[in-house]
Amino acid sequence: MPEVVVSIGPQHPALKEPVNFKIVADGEKIVRLELDLSYNHRGIEKAAEQRNFIRVLPLLERVCGICSHSHATVFSKGIEEIMGLEIPPRAQYIRTIIAELERMHSHLLWLGVAAHVIGFNTLFMWTWRDREAVQDTLEEMSGNRVHYGMNEIGGVRRDLTPAQVEAALERLPALEERIKKYVEMVNSEETMLIRFRDVGKMSREEALKYGAVGPTARASGVDYDVRRDDPYLAYAEVPWNVITDTHGDVYGRTRVRVGELWESTQIVRYCLENLPAGPIRVDAPKNAPKGEILSRYEAPRGELAHFIRTNGTDKVERVDIRTPTLANWTSVAVCLVNQNIADIPVIVAAIDPCLSCTSRMTVVNRVDKEGR
Amino acid sequence: MTDPVFILLYIFIFPGFFFLISYALFFAYLDRKIAARMQQRVGPPIYQPLADLIKMLGKEVINPNGVDWRVFDAIPLIALAAVMTAFLYVPVLGYSPLAFQGDLVVVLYLMALPTIALFVLGWLSRNIFSAIGGIRAVTQLFIYEVPFFLALLTPAIMAGSWSITEIVVWQQHNLWIIFFQPIGFIVALIGLQAKLERTPFDIPEAETEIVAGPWTELTGRRLALMDLATDVSLVVGSALVAALFLGGPMLPWVLAPFWLNGIAGFVLFLVKTLAVLLLLSSIKVATGRIRIDQLNDIGWKYIASAAVVQVGIVLVINYLWVVP
Amino acid sequence: MSVLREMLENLLSRPITILYPKEKVPIPESFRGRVAITDDKCIGCSKCSLVCPAQVITMIDGPREVEFKGKSFARKKRPQVKLYKCIRCGICERHCPTGAIYLKHELSSSGTDREVVIT
Repeated sequence: MPEVVVSIGPQHPALKEPVNFKIVADGEKIVRLELDLSYNHRGIEKAAEQRNFIRVLPLLERVCGICSHSHATVFSKGIEEIMGLEIPPRAQYIRTIIAELERMHSHLLWLGVAAHVIGFNTLFMWTWRDREAVQDTLEEMSGNRVHYGMNEIGGVRRDLTPAQVEAALERLPALEERIKKYVEMVNSEETMLIRFRDVGKMSREEALKYGAVGPTARASGVDYDVRRDDPYLAYAEVPWNVITDTHGDVYGRTRVRVGELWESTQIVRYCLENLPAGPIRVDAPKNAPKGEILSRYEAPRGELAHFIRTNGTDKVERVDIRTPTLANWTSVAVCLVNQNIADIPVIVAAIDPCLSCTSRMTVVNRVDKEGR
Repeated sequence: MTDPVFILLYIFIFPGFFFLISYALFFAYLDRKIAARMQQRVGPPIYQPLADLIKMLGKEVINPNGVDWRVFDAIPLIALAAVMTAFLYVPVLGYSPLAFQGDLVVVLYLMALPTIALFVLGWLSRNIFSAIGGIRAVTQLFIYEVPFFLALLTPAIMAGSWSITEIVVWQQHNLWIIFFQPIGFIVALIGLQAKLERTPFDIPEAETEIVAGPWTELTGRRLALMDLATDVSLVVGSALVAALFLGGPMLPWVLAPFWLNGIAGFVLFLVKTLAVLLLLSSIKVATGRIRIDQLNDIGWKYIASAAVVQVGIVLVINYLWVVP
Repeated sequence: MSVLREMLENLLSRPITILYPKEKVPIPESFRGRVAITDDKCIGCSKCSLVCPAQVITMIDGPREVEFKGKSFARKKRPQVKLYKCIRCGICERHCPTGAIYLKHELSSSGTDREVVIT
């Protein structure tokens, strides 16, 4: 059969967000592909430069719907470091609880999507049903299911009442039970193993070479997690493990994510049980001194970095957002070659892409001197 | 039995086309409802398939650029006509009045027609997703059709007849064929699932990979008719499996008034087809999609060999035990 | 095989879906609903309109004698919220010195009346 070009996206049922692959396929095998990103430039970085520190946080939360707490936390963490603020431990713990709940709901969502792309809709329905428990906890704590609005410069906005802590602890055992079941399913369910094993294989060297982050890298045996290697919030005090895997394929990435789900429940449990007393915020000054910082954070999808430059006013001079999806794209392009056409959605979904979060870069073609 | 009025009633009203279409819509509803409840969802209301059908019949029909619209209009009709004709030879009230020697073969080939229709549709659509889907449909046909045919022909070998009604009568005097051929029954179920392109084998219309495969360019009444054809083949397939393996719509003894046999047969038909549907829905819910190369592997290595083994067993049984 | 067992259990149990308009969704105590203003408490300081990230709070005329921290003075303006643009972040509630502006525990906020979309 001659080579055919299959154009997938920007509208395609497997991709809920705009991205375009031009896949050159020989029968059902992929020969090479071209990636086209940035269909959805939203101008968030420029908008962030025009708002003061109180008003910028809700905007940054809206960079991503799934990891909204990540973006707000990484930004306030950076600004607090520039201002030289010491955040009270109770605020640190509350931020950690929200962050880990967010990781749980993100990974459960991902597990459902991964099952959906192989047509296993039952697991999709079940994980999204169980995700509701996490969302209910988040709604109870923060007042909203998606954009939690917990952060402000200098601490958190809302305190956790004892009733909320108790309700969350009550929900945890059932959730742990379910997560145990998912760990078992991922490792034993033939219908998933047959589609996930040996698909999108990436060695440790390749993962390092192409700069993969997060669960994608950890599934290839890269033992790296910002939470452990550059501790922030309460992670230094909480006992937990970095989950790595040596499979390097989609199966490995699934194993890493369900392992992290379990670790997250344990972190949340520890934080809820050992929540320190005290104030939940310190008063932040209106202006930040001149400075530059690269703030790092382990978002559910991988390492998230905000580069922040302040100039002594109440606004940032520049904020540059590097989302984990951008770091993982190159690895997808490499993984896809020589795979089956049927495996495209599986491999793409395996990095948990969040495309509209990523669409903020300028690609400069140096040869033609054309900006885009 | 040869009264033309009776035959016309049989073909058009009961248990012919009218009953078939209502039952197909009910089957589609039940299939979705069972799947939904297994996933702890609510599922659709009972009128949903009918509402979908009526809605789609009224929608605008879009012709893709450069496609022969006459062929596009005809293909869903051919597919629907084929499976509806196939149903006439499947016994519903005990006997089928249209039965003849060899109707099993006719039914099997008529049921293969929708797949060919899908392939032609995909090929004509001038759409890369449809073309890939069409190729996948026909590749899949080559894989499952041989074991499926073998599995459904073994009852015929056992009963010594090529007529579905006679196979049912044979089971009335002896045991259900599933007791002699459990492997054949499983192969037939898998083959039926593959023929209907339901979940482990929905490779040709894999939503997340190739949009809707050959169905991508279907709109309006074409989509409605094609959907109906799929629903109808679900009924025909279940009825066929129920007739060939589960004794069909016949009690092992004859009841006193003649018409009571018909009613008992109809109730048995409903119970047995619904049992087959429950099995098919469970397979659909419990599995994810496999890849076409994996299907090729599994299909020829295991399913086809299982079907051949079954044929061998049946030949041995027939040799040792002379059918009375 | 755990899948098959769970499928059967689900088939025999009730669906978990909440049929929303017919059944009510439980709303937690801390829910951030639509913005409401207690005009009696408002001293017209304009802080809410300054911190609002979506800039949906505008100050309109509303002169009245008010009392704050023992002192009484005349306020000139009062806030008006365009709820259709509100993102319900709750920052106005956090920064209000008297607790006059707050978020209600109310889930649904659609309607055709002017009062529903502008407070």
